[in-house]
Amino acid sequence: MTDYGHDLWFGSFVTPAARPPQAPVELALASERAGLDLVSFQDHPYQSAFQDTWTLMSYVAARTERIRISGNVLSLPLRSPAVLARAAASLDRLTGGRVDLGIGAGAFWDGIAAMGGRRLTPGQAVQALEEAVQVIRGLWATDEPGPLKVDGEYYSVTGAKRGPAPAHRIPIHIGAYKPRMLRLTGRIADGWLPSLGYLPDGPASLDAMNEQIDEAASAAGREPAAVSRLLNLSGRFTTGGGGLLQGTPGDWAEQLADLALQYGVSGFILASDEPAELDLFGHEVAPRTRELVQSERTA
Amino acid sequence: MNYGHRLRFGLRLSTDADHEPDHLIKSAALAERWGLDLLVVPAGTAGADLEPGTVSSWIAAATGSLGLVVESPPTPHPAMLARAVASLDQLTAGRVELALHAEAADSGEALGDTIAVVRELWNVLDRGLGRYTGRLHRLSGAQKAAPAHDVPIAVHADSHVLRLVGRQADEWSTGDVTALAEGNRVVDEAARAAGRDPREIRRRITIRGDVGERAGTFTGTTEDWVSDLLPLVLDHGVGTVVLDTDSEDLAARFANDVAPALRAAVDAALPHGWSSTRVRRAAALARRRPGIDYEGTPEGMAEVVEPGDLAYARLRSGYLRGGAPGIVLRATTAEQVAQALAYARRHPGVPLSRRSAGHGVSGRSTNDGGIVIDVSLMNTIEVLDEKTRRVRIGPGARWAEVAAALEPYGWALSSGDYGGVGVGGLATAGGIGYLSREHGLTIDHLRAVEMVLADGSIVRASDVENADLFWAVRGAGANFGIVTAFEFEADEVGPVAFAQLTQDASDVERYLVEWGRVVEQSPRDLTSFVILPPSRAGRPAVALSHTMVHAADRETVLARLEPLAAISPMYAQDVAISSYAAVMNNASDDAPVSRGEPVSRSGLLRHVTPEFAAASARVLRSGAIGWFQLRAVGGAVADVPADATAYAHRDANFSLVVMGGDDEVVDAAWELLRPFLDGLYLSFESSLRPERLAEAFPPATLSRLRRLKSTYDPEGVFDDNFALTPATNDPGGSDQ
Repeated sequence: MTDYGHDLWFGSFVTPAARPPQAPVELALASERAGLDLVSFQDHPYQSAFQDTWTLMSYVAARTERIRISGNVLSLPLRSPAVLARAAASLDRLTGGRVDLGIGAGAFWDGIAAMGGRRLTPGQAVQALEEAVQVIRGLWATDEPGPLKVDGEYYSVTGAKRGPAPAHRIPIHIGAYKPRMLRLTGRIADGWLPSLGYLPDGPASLDAMNEQIDEAASAAGREPAAVSRLLNLSGRFTTGGGGLLQGTPGDWAEQLADLALQYGVSGFILASDEPAELDLFGHEVAPRTRELVQSERTA
Repeated sequence: MNYGHRLRFGLRLSTDADHEPDHLIKSAALAERWGLDLLVVPAGTAGADLEPGTVSSWIAAATGSLGLVVESPPTPHPAMLARAVASLDQLTAGRVELALHAEAADSGEALGDTIAVVRELWNVLDRGLGRYTGRLHRLSGAQKAAPAHDVPIAVHADSHVLRLVGRQADEWSTGDVTALAEGNRVVDEAARAAGRDPREIRRRITIRGDVGERAGTFTGTTEDWVSDLLPLVLDHGVGTVVLDTDSEDLAARFANDVAPALRAAVDAALPHGWSSTRVRRAAALARRRPGIDYEGTPEGMAEVVEPGDLAYARLRSGYLRGGAPGIVLRATTAEQVAQALAYARRHPGVPLSRRSAGHGVSGRSTNDGGIVIDVSLMNTIEVLDEKTRRVRIGPGARWAEVAAALEPYGWALSSGDYGGVGVGGLATAGGIGYLSREHGLTIDHLRAVEMVLADGSIVRASDVENADLFWAVRGAGANFGIVTAFEFEADEVGPVAFAQLTQDASDVERYLVEWGRVVEQSPRDLTSFVILPPSRAGRPAVALSHTMVHAADRETVLARLEPLAAISPMYAQDVAISSYAAVMNNASDDAPVSRGEPVSRSGLLRHVTPEFAAASARVLRSGAIGWFQLRAVGGAVADVPADATAYAHRDANFSLVVMGGDDEVVDAAWELLRPFLDGLYLSFESSLRPERLAEAFPPATLSRLRRLKSTYDPEGVFDDNFALTPATNDPGGSDQ
């Protein structure tokens, strides 16, 4: 039971549907109009019903002005970390610092292999992710002396020129559920990005998982608060009386405030392709949640 | 040597990170304003260079017409490159090209694999999953996704992979003017060895230069530039000229002075029409079908689509029928239709289909190995006279678009139940829609047509001009020509209520009889359609009715719906006050990907009798069919005399359609229903059996149609759908 004290932010999780191609772009614009802080897209490149997530993100970046943009989460096995580092830094420069980097170790290995990607065991994938983050941060670190050398088992870089430097320190959020990934998150990530629907016991699972992240962070000499806790959500606005995220915007705000205060969640990302829902989330749920958390924290 | 490529001019962007984002957008905006064809986003790999895919997408979102060449360094994931480029091409409606950079160390293997993987993932002409096994890259069952257009793949290389360029690329790009002659020789030779025409491959040169005093190549006045560039075009076949510069002044000079001057000089030096031939890839030519004169297609068609063209994947099939035509001729004017028809008539024995747009049940708008004349681009909707509500509509419009265009005037035209249906097919057959009981069939609103007849003449038909033809078009139009414009008188239609009810139909006979009774007894402002899904074990039998009430006040709507709701217990209901346009806005824009043949039977009936209901119940239980729908007709439909239009079964109150998977199975079930049916509606009938014709048209109508057919289409050019051709037997026995 920890509140890490982070400022709250609110985002959307928009389906990067391929047809019609402008539909997710419109939903990103709707997210910005709703006052949300972030728009994010899942990344399943083997799925032809979806657009390429990075292309869509870059396109959306040019159409928006204020909102942050993230993969949720990018499929590392099909995206070379060196290219990803340069792409993310490029987009961050183009947007004046509006990029978050959400990455995952990979799921759906059949799809990855079908696209010509390397099939890894879960353990290998965790290590590959750790090496990838090293490559990515190393390429961003243009103030470090000399070219980058990473001698990994899965990703090696021999004397690459660093850069480009991102416009701000791009946070790396990791999608993690299992102990090894949670420990990796605690050691190296700036944020933890699970989906509520995948938590075995719902919000109650957060305690034990937070604990693993906190322990790994401490063991690596980091403050647990260095890892912000984010959460993908889905729900439905109703006239009230339902369960978790099945009520009025007021009900939602109370439930999210509870997640913030009890479990330290500070980034709430709603999966929705409905502009009206995004609008309620941004304009009603977000301010009320902030108020509730604020008053509780100062109490 | 010139390869006949229309000249294109482009700028190469500087993307090192020192440049502010505004600089990139400004360069792109200028290039677009100057009318340049291309902006090349370079694949810098040095630390400070921005990543080209990201920059391209960013610029794409800020421009509207500029072509973008995404350069890619060698990639470990060519399938991802294919996805990214296809996505951006979709987002930009086809403005993207791909250029691959050869690595010095690559003998061509990596590059060759990359091109093969990208092409395979984009190849939606061959169905199924993408597979490729190369030395370095592979695909093992990846889902394919096509770009919006046939994205050309260029290779930038100076020497070592030129043979590969000849074998696999669409454009060779070099920065070395002196390499052109020898490079072209190698590329051309490799192309020919691979069975390709060297003209398939564009040649691109990227130059640097300066204005002012003449001081070497590409430095001097506009005239100097033109004299430097002209031999590259005339002697070395350069088709794309890209300027690499940081200077806005130089770029402006290049775009505004050099490009037009060079175009003029090239046009003056080469014979007229030097760049008018489209050269398809050898791989595309290999997909051509026998018996079609591909070289002799009429000039000036809006688009000619062959089986090897990417657009073919979207155009080959209909909504329910898979097709594999040999050629699709897309027309945008009546004259083009006439030309396409003349072309088709030079192909006796080759199937001819005509396609308006959208969705049709019988799917006669495609064929196997034949010619399709497609008028889907003729989709304008124009109000001719507000006072008389006269509107002119192209055959390629879809009814959702028509409804949306008429709504602001407070008008509507009753069409069908689906907005994705095209105007042409429906408005030449009948049109049984949600307003039919109040407003009649769609054809009852038709006041005039313009059409192309079998002999290629373009005529107008109305009550006062070619009145017999106008009579025939309203119900049997497909036999008489290709309508290129319809003039309708729209109805004033205000807000409507639309009710979607899911009701218990465990006593299906009772439900049907009651539904029929309620519909017949309802005022004409109610029109109801009902679908009975075939019964499935473990699921309750339900009836799904869709009912439109042309009223917006709650009392009237409830009064009309109450008797329907009272038929049986309700599982779900959705009643909304809406507009006709909103109800019609129910169609997907996706291209059909149908395969196989639809099996559909149509019948008209006077009343839903208990006997008919019992037969229906048997059919629904039999598992023989997958679709059973009844639509209300009657009302205003029956106000029109039977001999007023070729659609003659005016006394029917209901139209029935069933669909299934197998002709014989469906026909066996249909035999149970047939005794209760009188007439059929052509649009819902997929069988081409001659006796169907006598069901579609009563004897007097059929004999009049046959007389007209012998006048207007004596050779049976338009015989693909319920042929009236005099030579066939007259199953009605009533001719003359």
